[in-house]
Amino acid sequence: MSRNNIKILPGALVCEESKLRGDITIGSGTIVHPSATIIAEAGPIIIGECCLIEEQVKIIHRLPFDQQNKENTTPVLIIGSHNVFEVDCTVESPKIGNNNVFESKCYVGNKVTVSNGCIIGAGCRVTEEQILKENIIIFGSKCQMREGLDRPGLQTLQMETLSKMIPNYHHIKKPNKKV
Amino acid sequence: MSYITGPDVVKYACSCGLLKPISHLYFCRYCFQLRCSFCVCHEVDSNFCGKCSENIPSSEARVKKNRCGNCYVCPSCQQELSTRIASKGPVNPEDSKSTPKKMYYLSCQFCRWSSRDVGIPDQSTVTGGWPERENVHSNRLQELVDMYKAIVLAQKQQKDKDKKKQRGKFLSYTDRTGVTAAALRKRIGLPAEFTHPILKNKPKEPEPASAKTEVDEVPEQLLTEPINLMEITTVEQRLLQPEAQPVTVDKLFPVHKQLSIKRSLRCRHCEHNVSKPEYNPSSVKFKIQLFAYYHIPEIRIVTVEPLRAGKQCELIVKFTNPTQHQTTIAFLKLNMDEEDASLDSEVAEVIQDLDQTLSLQEKQQMSLTSLPLSTSQPSSLISVPSRQPSLTIEPRKISQEVNCDIEVPTSSFILPPRDDAAEYDDSGDTHNIQDDPKLVKWRKSNKAFIKLNVTPMSDLALNSEVVCGFIMQHIYTNTVASKEPQKYNHKVKVFLRLGQLVGSE
Ligand SMILES: [Zn+2]
Ligand SMILES: [Zn+2]
Ligand SMILES: [Zn+2]
Ligand SMILES: [Zn+2]
Ligand SMILES: [Zn+2]
Repeated sequence: MSRNNIKILPGALVCEESKLRGDITIGSGTIVHPSATIIAEAGPIIIGECCLIEEQVKIIHRLPFDQQNKENTTPVLIIGSHNVFEVDCTVESPKIGNNNVFESKCYVGNKVTVSNGCIIGAGCRVTEEQILKENIIIFGSKCQMREGLDRPGLQTLQMETLSKMIPNYHHIKKPNKKV
Repeated sequence: MSYITGPDVVKYACSCGLLKPISHLYFCRYCFQLRCSFCVCHEVDSNFCGKCSENIPSSEARVKKNRCGNCYVCPSCQQELSTRIASKGPVNPEDSKSTPKKMYYLSCQFCRWSSRDVGIPDQSTVTGGWPERENVHSNRLQELVDMYKAIVLAQKQQKDKDKKKQRGKFLSYTDRTGVTAAALRKRIGLPAEFTHPILKNKPKEPEPASAKTEVDEVPEQLLTEPINLMEITTVEQRLLQPEAQPVTVDKLFPVHKQLSIKRSLRCRHCEHNVSKPEYNPSSVKFKIQLFAYYHIPEIRIVTVEPLRAGKQCELIVKFTNPTQHQTTIAFLKLNMDEEDASLDSEVAEVIQDLDQTLSLQEKQQMSLTSLPLSTSQPSSLISVPSRQPSLTIEPRKISQEVNCDIEVPTSSFILPPRDDAAEYDDSGDTHNIQDDPKLVKWRKSNKAFIKLNVTPMSDLALNSEVVCGFIMQHIYTNTVASKEPQKYNHKVKVFLRLGQLVGSE
C-alpha cells in the first residue's frame, strides 16, 4: 500500500499540505484542511459529499488485530455525506454513515461502526465494539449516551465561508476525476 | 498559579492551628494574625446569577429559592441552556406581507438536549415564560411548614410567659399564703390539672403520613425486556430535580439556574474584613484582600540533598519579601510540646531605628522581657493595640509530626522591599547588605537563598516522609494603625515537607 492513489472529484477542496496516504476518493463539496491526515492503510477510503475535515483531524483506515490476517477481501472504508470532523479528532471507524459530527479531540476506535446523525462529543473516547444507532449523542467525561430527537444541523454556512476563504491562502489539489 | 503553589510542600500554621499553604491564608492587619477560611466569618454579600450577571436581592433570592428566574440549566448534563431562534412560517400564508414569526426554544450546546426533546412548545418571546411545573407535593409541604412555624411561635410565647412568671415569683399570692396553685385552681373552679400552653394552643396537625406495608408487584417487564439505558435517567439527573425525580428522560424539564454568591470574610477576633469582593457581579476584583501572600515572606524549597536517617544534609530555601518595607528574618526553634498561645499573640514593637545588626540573642531577650505584660514594661515595647475580641477561639494543637531536626541559625538576615522595577535591573545591586555567608547563599532584589542544615531522625524508616519545622520571625511593618509606620515582630510556624528518606548509600 505504498502507492498513493488520490481521486478528487470536482467541487472538492483539498489543501495541498494535507497528508493523504493510500487509495483515497474524495467526493465533491468536501473540504480537507491543510494539516488533516487521511491514511488508507488497510484498504481504500471513499469520502462522500460535503464533508468537513478540519485541522489536525486523523482519519485512519486500520483493521483490528484479529481481522488483519483475512486476506480474501480488501475492506473499503466508506464515509457518507455531510459528516463534520472537528479539530484534532481521531477516527478509525470501519464504516461511517451520513450527517455525523465528530467533535474536537474525540477518539473513535476501529471497532465502532457509526450510522447516521450521531454526535461524538468533545474529548470522548469510544473504543468498545459496537454499532452506534441513528442520532446517538455521546457527551461528557463519562461518555454518557443519549438519543437525539433529530440529526444535527448542517454546517452549510460555515462550509460556504470556508470554500471562499481557503483558496485565498492555501494551495489546492486539482480535482483529477470527472463525474 | 496552582502549579507553583499546588504541591503543598511548605505550610504555614494559621493562628487557629491548621496548616495551610500561604496561598490559602489571610493576614489580619489589625490583629497581626494569620487567618484561614476555617477561622474567619463567612458572610454572603450578594446573590447573583452567573449566566446573566444580574444581582438579585437576598429577599428575592429567598422567594425564588436561590435560583435565577430567567436562566436555565440543562436537565441532562447541567450545563447552561441557551435560547435559540427558530423561524416559523408566516402566520397567514395567503398574506405575502406577513413576516415569518420568530419562535424560541432552549437548547444545550453541550449534550444537544433541547426543550423540543420533551415536547415543550416553542415560545414567542426571548425570555420565554417557560411553563413552570407544579410540585405535586407542594400542598403537603406547605402544611408541614405552617405547622412547624406555629410550633416555633407557641414555644416562643411560652418562653416569654415563663420569663414573666419568674420575675413575679416572690410576690405571688400563693407563695405568701402557702396555698398551692393546684388547690387555688380547685377553689375557683378550674380543673386542677394545668395544661401546658404548648399543648393547649397546639396547631392543627396535618394528617400523618401513613406507612404502607403493601407495595406494588415488580413489573414483569423488568425481567423480560432488555433495558434501554438511554431512556432511563442517571442519579445526577434525578437529584437535579429532587421534587420530581424523573425516572425516564422524557420527563426531564429545564431547571432554573442556581444563584452564586459573593462572599466577604471577616476576622472573628476584631471583626475587620480580610476579604471583600467588589459588588458588581461581573467584576472579579476585591475591595479588600488581605491575603497572607502580600504580607508574609514566602518560603520555597529550592534544593535538598538526599535525605538519610541521622545524617545532616543541606537544604536551600528561598525567602521572598512581598511588602514595600524592609524586613529582617530570624529563625527560632520549633517546640511542638510547648503550650505556646503566648508565642503567636506576643508581638513586641521593635524600635524604629533598631540597629539592623542587632543580634538575635539581644532581640530574644527583649521579647522575653515583654512577656509578662506588666505596667512597668519598657516604653519601647508596647502590646498589640487592644481591641475587645468578639470571639475568642482556642487554637487547636498542630497535628503535624516533625521528624527532622533543624540546626537553627543564630544569625538573622535582611530582605529588602519588593521593587517591581528590579526585575529589569541587571546591575546586581546587593543593597550593600552585610550577610552571614554561612546563612545567605545568594540574593537578588527582595529574594534571598538561605542554607539550612537538617538532620532526619535516626530511627526513621525508609521512604517515610521527612518533615521539618521552624519558627520564622519577621518584622512586619504596620501602616494601618497610625500615620507613623510601626514595626512588629511577627512569628509564624512553618513546616516543610522535604521528601522521602532514601537508603544509607
Ligand atoms: Zn485558621
Ligand atoms: Zn440568570
Ligand atoms: Zn446538556
Ligand atoms: Zn483581626
Ligand atoms: Zn483584633
